[in-house]
Amino acid sequence: MLKMIAKRLGLLIFVIFGVTLVTFFMSHVIPGDPASMMAGQRASEETLQSIRAQLGLDQPVWIQYFYYMSDLLSGDLGTSIRTQRPVVEDLMTFFPATLELAIVAFIIAILIGIPLGVLAAIKKNTFWDHLSRVFSIGGVSIPVFFSGLIAILFFYGILGWLPSNGRISVDLNPPTHITGFYIIDSLLTFDMAALKSSLQHILLPALVLSYAQLAIITRQVRASMLEVMNQEYIRTAIANGIKGRLLIISYALRNALIPTVTVIGVAFGSLLGGAVVTETIFGWPGMGKFVVDSIEYLDFPAMMGFTIVISIGYVLINLIVDIIYGLLNPQLKR
Amino acid sequence: MIKKLSYCFFIIISVIFLAACQENANAPSDSTTENDSNSNESTTTSKSDQLVVAMPADVTSLDPAVSMDNTAWKIIYNTYERLVDYDGATTNIKPGLAKEWKVSEDGKTWTFYLEDGHLFSDGTPVDAEAVKASFERTLAVDNGPAGVFSMISEIKVEDPLTVTFVLSETFPPFLSTLAANYGNIVNPKVLEHEVDGDLGQNYLASNTMGSGPYKLTEWKKGDSLKLELNEHSKLKPSITTVLFRVVSDPSVQRLQLEKGEIDIAEGIPVDQIDTLKELDNVTILQEPSLAVDYVYINNKNGNPALQDARVRQALNYAIDYDSLVSAVQLGYATQMHGPIPDGIWGHDKSVKQYNYDVEKAKQLLAEAGAEDLTISLLYSDNKTWWETEALAIQSNLADIGVTVKLNKVAYATSREMMDKGEFDLALGVWSPDFGDPYMFMNYWFDSSYHGLAGNRSFYTNSEVDKLLREAATNNDQEARQSIYKQVQDIVLEDAPYILLYQKDFILPMSKEVKGFVYNPMLESMYNLQDMSK
Repeated sequence: MLKMIAKRLGLLIFVIFGVTLVTFFMSHVIPGDPASMMAGQRASEETLQSIRAQLGLDQPVWIQYFYYMSDLLSGDLGTSIRTQRPVVEDLMTFFPATLELAIVAFIIAILIGIPLGVLAAIKKNTFWDHLSRVFSIGGVSIPVFFSGLIAILFFYGILGWLPSNGRISVDLNPPTHITGFYIIDSLLTFDMAALKSSLQHILLPALVLSYAQLAIITRQVRASMLEVMNQEYIRTAIANGIKGRLLIISYALRNALIPTVTVIGVAFGSLLGGAVVTETIFGWPGMGKFVVDSIEYLDFPAMMGFTIVISIGYVLINLIVDIIYGLLNPQLKR
Repeated sequence: MIKKLSYCFFIIISVIFLAACQENANAPSDSTTENDSNSNESTTTSKSDQLVVAMPADVTSLDPAVSMDNTAWKIIYNTYERLVDYDGATTNIKPGLAKEWKVSEDGKTWTFYLEDGHLFSDGTPVDAEAVKASFERTLAVDNGPAGVFSMISEIKVEDPLTVTFVLSETFPPFLSTLAANYGNIVNPKVLEHEVDGDLGQNYLASNTMGSGPYKLTEWKKGDSLKLELNEHSKLKPSITTVLFRVVSDPSVQRLQLEKGEIDIAEGIPVDQIDTLKELDNVTILQEPSLAVDYVYINNKNGNPALQDARVRQALNYAIDYDSLVSAVQLGYATQMHGPIPDGIWGHDKSVKQYNYDVEKAKQLLAEAGAEDLTISLLYSDNKTWWETEALAIQSNLADIGVTVKLNKVAYATSREMMDKGEFDLALGVWSPDFGDPYMFMNYWFDSSYHGLAGNRSFYTNSEVDKLLREAATNNDQEARQSIYKQVQDIVLEDAPYILLYQKDFILPMSKEVKGFVYNPMLESMYNLQDMSK
């Protein structure tokens, strides 16, 4: 297992190198001039040239790439063209917000999705099965911008229970920065006001975001549960008088979860990437909006920084999925 | 494991729902009301000394020497001061940091006499040295704002409260540029924050160092910015805290305005304005703006037929201006009358205005021998209404037998293509940085501004060039006005653009907000020091 982890982490270096190479050259091939975006509505040729020189855009692409990589090796992701701040600083501001949202949404999706899938499987073709199908398919069918607005209208507009926008109340200071996750940081610093406010703020966007992934998990759990329930060892177990929760959870679900883990891994990746719309609707200060703005602005350093972080994220998620695989199925440990 | 998981599930869900059923923590609560944990009602009474503005996007760099972005300017404008300012709702200039000024006979030397007692937010006095240092920094940073001041050749400190600008050429709009955002005076102590020779750019990107009535005290990136009073300012505004919140979704802004959580909603598109009018607590400000929407006709590199003035005139006659305004802006705009919009001196009702005349357009096309014309129309998704506008233009031109191929590209790409002249027709918007017809006439029609700089139709007319350059170096406003009239007559015949409409400025705000004066030169900026609730 350790060997596998080490090998995977070693592979990460090549992945990152490949990703930087491809994205750097691709982003420089797109027609468009960041200098003209920076210089404002109307810019004279002299101003454009001066900005291009400041940004190093007047150099050949491969020299720019060389400079970029040598900075990257020393941990410097450059300065954002749009915000004029170091990219690392921007990533540290926006990435934890997205990750926090994705993780909470992910937990909600699992906590609702797995039991719902199990329910659908053991109550196959009954009312409960149909209900779970309708509910979960609704998630993939209803676009996030719609379910998001409905959720806001209902919980904020009509009931007034939950806030509509942001990550924490504007009247409160964010908790001291430790992990960048408001929920964890406020727990660590015993900042109860911040904890309450950040929970209130994350609930709606996380629910909306998780709803879109719910169907995938529910349907997968249902399918694998049905498959497992038909297998020989379950029948043997039933014959031996094992039944009820013990049978379903310890015997069937454990095996049914193995294929589900892969799906869940993919789901988490989609949550990270798919948070863009949710973030826009809920004014969630995360990567989504930041990246879209950066792309529109042709802000290469910010785009590159984001791509690198996300690709590291994907490799790590895959690694975690494989580790969980191993834990669930000892045969795979070899 | 599953058992443990299900315990976690219940704990998490109950914590979240307990928290959820509490009072809405997002609403600005009344300072005297502590949270009542049993209440399900959201607290929407806002403090009278706090103004909350919802804006659709976050701010980028706040450095006055770098920023060319209206959103950032709304923060910059209230946290810095300028030598001069726009007077109320007009484009006239009134004293700012400078109580008076004089200009030499040849218009090249401008001397400003500073008012004593202005202090930066850290207590440093605003003196002639600071003014000099601030402008020299802007020029050294050499970004967009420096381009506007390229005519400054020397800045001299005469005494602690007198500063002189020597220009390399006469530039009558100079005073007006000083009232714009580029003219903000930065505390010279910014250099203490210099890193790697950046002249403090990194620091000023997220901090303010000015002498305006407010200072930036908090910026939750992507979420909100908070301005609080600069205790060293001479002004004592009644609003002590201003919160600018990023609320990207227009429907959410509408709900928040309705519930009184925000006072001003900046990002609501025209198609949602009518429903807002029905709300009791909301008033909608509607004023003509100086932002214009027009079509660039490529006079040089596009379809060769477009080099014929008759074809360009035909395109101008083919547009059904009234329908376009009502379809695209739902009536919240007015057809342009000449290139200089209503609201800036130089605007002239006597110049020619194209009207919708299909027969005339067809006849002109026939005369030019360009009946079966196929041209492209370039635009991007930068403005939400461009798609509708492009379709309307396509349909209008089809009526005169001109086939229009729509070419929608990414915004950054569209800018590069416009700069290089890779289009036949292109949609564009323009708003002035300073209140002078120079912003429209010289930028649009002088051949030295070909490309992004302003003359985006690549129009060249040597007589127009000569007249415009004369107008740009003459300090006599009346003489300039008559030159601009002459030029307008010429360019309307030449028709290098299709002048569409002048947009209205629409701002939904709470009825509690008092004292806001809309100045078309300061679009999206607020006179916070005079406002109250």
